[in-house]
Amino acid sequence: MKQTLLSATLDNGIVLLGEELPDLESVAVAFHAPAGGIHDGEGRCGLASLTSEMMLRGAGDRDSRQLVEDLAMAGINWSNAVSTTHATYFGAMVAKRLPEAVSIYADILRRPQLPADQFESGRQVVLQDLAGTDDDPSHRTLLALKKLVFPAPWGLPSEGLTADVEQLTPEVVEAFASTHVRPDGMIVAAAGRLDWPDFVKRMEAAFADWQPGTPVTVGQGERGGRWQHVEHDSQQTHIAIAWSAPPYRSDESYEATAALSVLGGGTSSRFFTEVRERRGLCYSVSAGYHTQRDFASAICYAGTSSDRAQQTLDVMLEEIERLPGSITEDELMRVKARAKSGLVMQQESSSARAGGIARQWYHLGRVRSLADELKRLDQLSVSSVRGWLESHPPTDLSIVSLGRHPLEVPRELSA
Amino acid sequence: MSFRHETLPNGLEVIAEISDSALSTSVGFFVNTGSRDETDELWGASHFLEHMVFKGTDDLSADDINRRFDDLGAAANAFTSEEDTVYYASVLPEHQREATELIGRILRPALREEDFETERLVILEEIQMYDDQPPFGADDACRATFFAGHPAGRSVLGTLDSVRSISVDGMRDYHRRRYAPGNIVLAASGAVDFDDLVETARRICGEWEPLPISSRTCPKPPRVCGGGDEAIREQIVREAAAMEYVIRFSAGPDGDDPDRYAAKWLAMMLGDESGSRFYWEFIDSGAADYASCHHQDFLDAGVFAVQLSSDAESIEALLARTEEILTDVTVNGLTTAEMEQARSKLASRIVLSGERARRRLFGVGLEWAHSRRYRSVADDLGVVENLKGSDLGRLAERWPLSGSHATVLAGPLES
Repeated sequence: MKQTLLSATLDNGIVLLGEELPDLESVAVAFHAPAGGIHDGEGRCGLASLTSEMMLRGAGDRDSRQLVEDLAMAGINWSNAVSTTHATYFGAMVAKRLPEAVSIYADILRRPQLPADQFESGRQVVLQDLAGTDDDPSHRTLLALKKLVFPAPWGLPSEGLTADVEQLTPEVVEAFASTHVRPDGMIVAAAGRLDWPDFVKRMEAAFADWQPGTPVTVGQGERGGRWQHVEHDSQQTHIAIAWSAPPYRSDESYEATAALSVLGGGTSSRFFTEVRERRGLCYSVSAGYHTQRDFASAICYAGTSSDRAQQTLDVMLEEIERLPGSITEDELMRVKARAKSGLVMQQESSSARAGGIARQWYHLGRVRSLADELKRLDQLSVSSVRGWLESHPPTDLSIVSLGRHPLEVPRELSA
Repeated sequence: MSFRHETLPNGLEVIAEISDSALSTSVGFFVNTGSRDETDELWGASHFLEHMVFKGTDDLSADDINRRFDDLGAAANAFTSEEDTVYYASVLPEHQREATELIGRILRPALREEDFETERLVILEEIQMYDDQPPFGADDACRATFFAGHPAGRSVLGTLDSVRSISVDGMRDYHRRRYAPGNIVLAASGAVDFDDLVETARRICGEWEPLPISSRTCPKPPRVCGGGDEAIREQIVREAAAMEYVIRFSAGPDGDDPDRYAAKWLAMMLGDESGSRFYWEFIDSGAADYASCHHQDFLDAGVFAVQLSSDAESIEALLARTEEILTDVTVNGLTTAEMEQARSKLASRIVLSGERARRRLFGVGLEWAHSRRYRSVADDLGVVENLKGSDLGRLAERWPLSGSHATVLAGPLES
């Protein structure tokens, strides 16, 4: 399959990435500013989220309403999101509207109005959102687990903490925007029916005279412990289990991802078979791989009614313990087939590719071609996956449960 | 893009929207059956049966099925709604035949008693999982109240009690009646080999016994026809919930009514996630966590569904303001600017979802299953381009948003 990957770097550090998918009508563009939750600062958890919310409230000559109307009239399907490391402004549209998107996003990123008279509304949006997550038990479980697994501030919730958000002021939001929404460290990825030379020219015209900021470092704090129960009045108990894995940039991440896919990836995975199909213990059970740039984690999840939660946890722990040394050729074949068709099908979506190439650049400093990825998948063997599991057995487990009653966990965790 | 259609002698219809540039193939069996086709004794059986289909045939075990889907690298799943049960898989084009065969074969499940009892536990978990989540049953309760005995009001999952009382014999009989070939459409989209698809269908499904299909039409209460000015209100108290959730139904055009496009246009102006009336009134200000309006159509009925969530103290004021907005829109209409923005957004979304073969499968398959019509992306765009202000005027007369409605609240608010 022919693939056209493109990249360019502006003098101020903005990295431009492109992938031409000429059979599509659409193009998707994502601006990833290095303004994620890890930069919130002590006692200001949620600052990146509130700043991102305020950035859309008017920019350049467009007031808040005009900005949203301009996005609508250009048919830009837009969203913004804040992750641990980035604030992302995303838009998908019919290809010919990309120039309008570049002009609107240049206003948002470089000339946000951050209107003081809308600050309380912006704060309310973030607070409402936080209150809403209190009603989402699986999300709360995974947030609690993230805090145990990743050191602060990587383990803190990028959506914020209510008590901190209540203390934020327009001044700290303004300072955050001018410090962290910056060209150096920004990745802009476009994919779809893309006129690359025209895109680069327009990006240069709109962004090249933006001056880089001073370097920022983030100190690494403590992890939150190994085991936690969160009281929650619900019929189901939610269980999450994690252990450390190699980050995406490590070549071994392929072995780790394959091992986790055998454990809890498809419907033929061990978790699905043993927990759901054989015992009917739960509706959703899975295992997957989650990575930051410098550390990563295996994360397993299940939700089950409270009276069967202990059995569910016990079966999951048995399957995790049994994993090293037991992976078979058939299982690995299925993992490869699923991964391969996932990679190819991604090429049908401008949004998926814009996300994919940016993620790779952030982790690797380059974009892997589809051919390279398929080749690396082919190199996976039972002995390479087993070998990796034997040298990195899942022993340093962290466990969170959320529900009416705590569960019994292995003694080394609760001690 | 081309469209093909063929009917097997036993009544099973085979259709495909074929795209030369697609990299994947999606196939789905669309069974014209859902919760509206159940009796009280079988409440929840359509969805339960959807699970049982994956538990095996006389010569395939559940493990075999799960492994084969994963062998094919298939993104395979199923869903059940009030009116449809759909089994589908997306695969690389070279696996079209195997994926079609596999889904075709499992549609004649063994329905073994032992599997039935284990899977019942999974369904009970699924019901509890949703019951722990927003909107805490308000959606099902609102549908039941609004439709007052019309079968579209029957919830898909059923209740813990109804699912506990379904018998395996009852399910076998339901399967025989509803999974007859004349009640099923095999649809495909993307890179489809149509001749091979028809050949596969003949081989796997050609011997299925044709049976007469009972009519699905039934009398409708006046409020479902857009009449009256009743205002029904119910409350579900969930003390532990953080937020209050509201669902409000009023009548709208059904799936066969030409005004259904205008209804989706109107819903977008009222309650899209950005730039709509609700957005500026409730979301931009942070007054609500969520506020939306959607038009949902059924075979012989339709609804405008308004959803809100906020802290419990604010909800009454938000509800009152919502009624004012709905009356204002019914009486005074909308502005040209609002119409043009919504038109632009609708058109863009049609193009974006049109280029995903996997998403087209559902649009093409459901349209054919319900009405034996094929509509291309260009057909849909043509309709959107020709929507007029006068369409909204007619809509307001036929289906006044301020007319009869049912509102259900769920959350910590005391009755």
